[in-house]
Amino acid sequence: MSYLELSGLQKRYGSAVAVDDVSLSVAKGEAVALLGPSGCGKTTTLRMLAGLIEPNQGMIRVDGSEITRLPAHKRNMGYVFQSYALFPHMSVARNVAFGLEERGRPKAEIARQVEEALAMVRLEGLAQRRPRELSGGQQQRVALARALVIHPSVLLLDESLSNLDAKLRDTMRHEIRSIQRSLGITTLFVTHDQVEALTMCDRIAVMHRGRIAQIGSPEDIYERPATRFVAEFVGRANALPAERGSDGRVTLWGAAQPVTAPVEQAFDIFVRPQRMRILPLSEPAGDATARVTGKVLRNVFVGDHVEVLVEGAGGQLTVEMASGSPVPPEGSEVAVVWRAQDSLPFAREAA
Amino acid sequence: MTASARLPLLLIPAALFVLAIYAWPTLLLMRNAFNEVGPTGAMVEAWSLKTAADTFADGFTFELTLNSIWLSLSATAIALALSYPLSLFLFRTDSRWKGLLAVIAIMPMLISSVVRVFGWLAILGDRGLVNGLLQSLGLISAPLKLVFNWTGVTIGLAESIMPYMILALLAGFGQLDRTLEEASRSLGASPFRTFMRVTLPLSLPAIALAAGLGFVLSMSAYITPKLLGGGRVFVLATEIFEQATTNTNWPVAAVLAIYTLVLLLALLALSNVVAKGLKR
Amino acid sequence: MNGAGPVLSSLAALVYALILAPIVVVFALAFSADNFILFPPSGYSLRWFQALAGHAPLLSALGLSVQVASVVTLLSLVVGVPAALALAKGEFRGKAALTGFFLAPLLLPTLITGLALLLFFTPLRLTATLPGLVLGHMTVTVPFVIRMMTTALSNLPHDIEAAAATLGATPWRVVRRVTLPLAMPGLIACGCLSFLLSFDETVISLFISGPRASTLPVEMVRYVEGRTDPLIAALSVVLIIATLIVIVAVERLVGVARAVGK
Repeated sequence: MSYLELSGLQKRYGSAVAVDDVSLSVAKGEAVALLGPSGCGKTTTLRMLAGLIEPNQGMIRVDGSEITRLPAHKRNMGYVFQSYALFPHMSVARNVAFGLEERGRPKAEIARQVEEALAMVRLEGLAQRRPRELSGGQQQRVALARALVIHPSVLLLDESLSNLDAKLRDTMRHEIRSIQRSLGITTLFVTHDQVEALTMCDRIAVMHRGRIAQIGSPEDIYERPATRFVAEFVGRANALPAERGSDGRVTLWGAAQPVTAPVEQAFDIFVRPQRMRILPLSEPAGDATARVTGKVLRNVFVGDHVEVLVEGAGGQLTVEMASGSPVPPEGSEVAVVWRAQDSLPFAREAA
Repeated sequence: MTASARLPLLLIPAALFVLAIYAWPTLLLMRNAFNEVGPTGAMVEAWSLKTAADTFADGFTFELTLNSIWLSLSATAIALALSYPLSLFLFRTDSRWKGLLAVIAIMPMLISSVVRVFGWLAILGDRGLVNGLLQSLGLISAPLKLVFNWTGVTIGLAESIMPYMILALLAGFGQLDRTLEEASRSLGASPFRTFMRVTLPLSLPAIALAAGLGFVLSMSAYITPKLLGGGRVFVLATEIFEQATTNTNWPVAAVLAIYTLVLLLALLALSNVVAKGLKR
Repeated sequence: MNGAGPVLSSLAALVYALILAPIVVVFALAFSADNFILFPPSGYSLRWFQALAGHAPLLSALGLSVQVASVVTLLSLVVGVPAALALAKGEFRGKAALTGFFLAPLLLPTLITGLALLLFFTPLRLTATLPGLVLGHMTVTVPFVIRMMTTALSNLPHDIEAAAATLGATPWRVVRRVTLPLAMPGLIACGCLSFLLSFDETVISLFISGPRASTLPVEMVRYVEGRTDPLIAALSVVLIIATLIVIVAVERLVGVARAVGK
């Protein structure tokens, strides 16, 4: 039973279409990420949900009742803005109290709830500070507490971690996820960062050009990308130009492979670099294993892994090896192998 | 959302005000230009071009036009020559007093024009600062005539339009990329060559706009020509005021006002075209 | 290439001397003991300040000017701020054209506006009256308030009003609790500058003032036309100091260059 439901949402600005037909249902307590590059319409979708932008078409339902035309202040949605949008003229406590004050709650109750909310985000001692006296991470927590204290029906987070440095982003990621789980609050994240989407959410909706390209669990999205765009955007992939022989077998870099492809037109085979292995030329490939050969151009040490750049008959590819394992010397001829099932065929895009 | 749909209602008081106290009187001014003045000097309601024709047939109008244009050109040229280095200085300086220096540069526009004119009377007058200094140095025996003539008006006018031109220049410099000058220097151009080949060409649009603004302000200035001219300097602005108040000849004042406005609009258009042409 | 360099700095210093000269001279002259403008003065005294304190026409003109400027400031904010709010926050057809319509009076010289108002006010018997002067000055201050406050309101932190709305504040409560408090420094600065604009307004006042009601600048013009003694210098010193206090206040609040510029 879906708790939050978007159907056929559309937003146009003149002739430009920002969001073109987005439908999505989210179960109660579920966390869903809207993942996509900038300009894909993910923030516009979130703002339509919050009532900050009016859709041209479509419908939004929460818990069975339609709210498509309801003004923002009547929607009871917690929104954490990318800029945090904390009120600079109010203390941390007043910022958090704002929503409760607008709801006319008694003073004592407000004080108690504000205290609880600040404790939840571990900001107890800072209630009387002004937002500008806080660090980026602390401001982020205030924004979160302010959005949660009103017990929103849905929590909306817009690129909430993008203004933090890498280390802090890791901490906040876990913290937000554990708060979200313990409160069991239905949550929508907007992000362009795949790690954020993969680690924080139950499901991911990948958006592309104002539509949802694929929706599924993080594993689904990563292992079984539905479109070429999803395969390119989430994780890294080698795109190997492929040919189909008359017998239906696929040829890569001039070598026939135990790989089948259902498509008729020109296509590429996508393989994740960490699914590839490097073997000496002499070693034969096993059953159901794809194999191409080439020369090692360069080894690039990237810390926790080594990228091996191999050039062969059909171009170049990258193999990711755990650092510490022996890497082939540059200039040596090697075989690159992977399990046939790790090959993902996608039609080449018409230029 | 209904709230944002109601937002334009907030414009109503301001719209009513501008319509009633600004647009309507301006239309009234246009209407008056078609009235005639009877032999007794009383205004006669009419729809004729007689007043306009008489005014433009009068050689004095032509003389006033030349006076106004010449005065505005010289004041603008002087003000530009002084404002440009000052603006460039303000744009470039790393001084911690930059904010204060900028305020001082545009402060005159916030101080009453009468006060500033009085200051110039004290500087340029027969027994003022300049003449006192020159006489005590023995350079002159009789005081130079620096006020109540064109010299005084030009100087005072130049000073009064400078703050506006400085603001216009500073706004224009905003688009001047410092790295371009650094690139020029790194390619071997001296500071002077860098100024001539990079800075000046890039700031020409700003100069055109500032000059246009200065000219418009000079053409319509009244207080400075009136007080520093001492009744001996006649320009369009002083004539409009005389006709409207002392002579209560409204049709002529209206004709001259519209005429001045047309001159100004033509000049503004010209300076915009020049600025746009220079920007390419 | 850091800073302005010695050549440019010296040129700028010269120009500054020129800009400040009239003001410095006025200060020196205010304390003159002479009967006429003589520079440098042969002696110094406070006699012109005493003369000023006893000069009834100038003092009553000062009173009227303060009165006019106060009413003008109040009314301009009341009329202009809502319009600025609509222009800054609203999204409606013809907004650009409307903005142009409201700012048009800033483009026309006050010489033309003054004449138009004279023609309009005379049959209505509004010349040389308090309401006439107030309405006349408002042709300058209302567009100024609209321009300055539209900019100030458009520059509020991004998303801050949206945040208040998502937290349950109605549009009116958003204005009261977020927009206005954040715009307050700009609002006060705007009020100060409107007061100065009205107080210093000379050309429009010259057209529509009369013997019955003259503002201070008009009375000063008449005085300077008639006589040349240091009385006006003493008055100028008082005015300059008052103006400087306002400028410093505005600079603290929003920055003068930003307030008067476009």
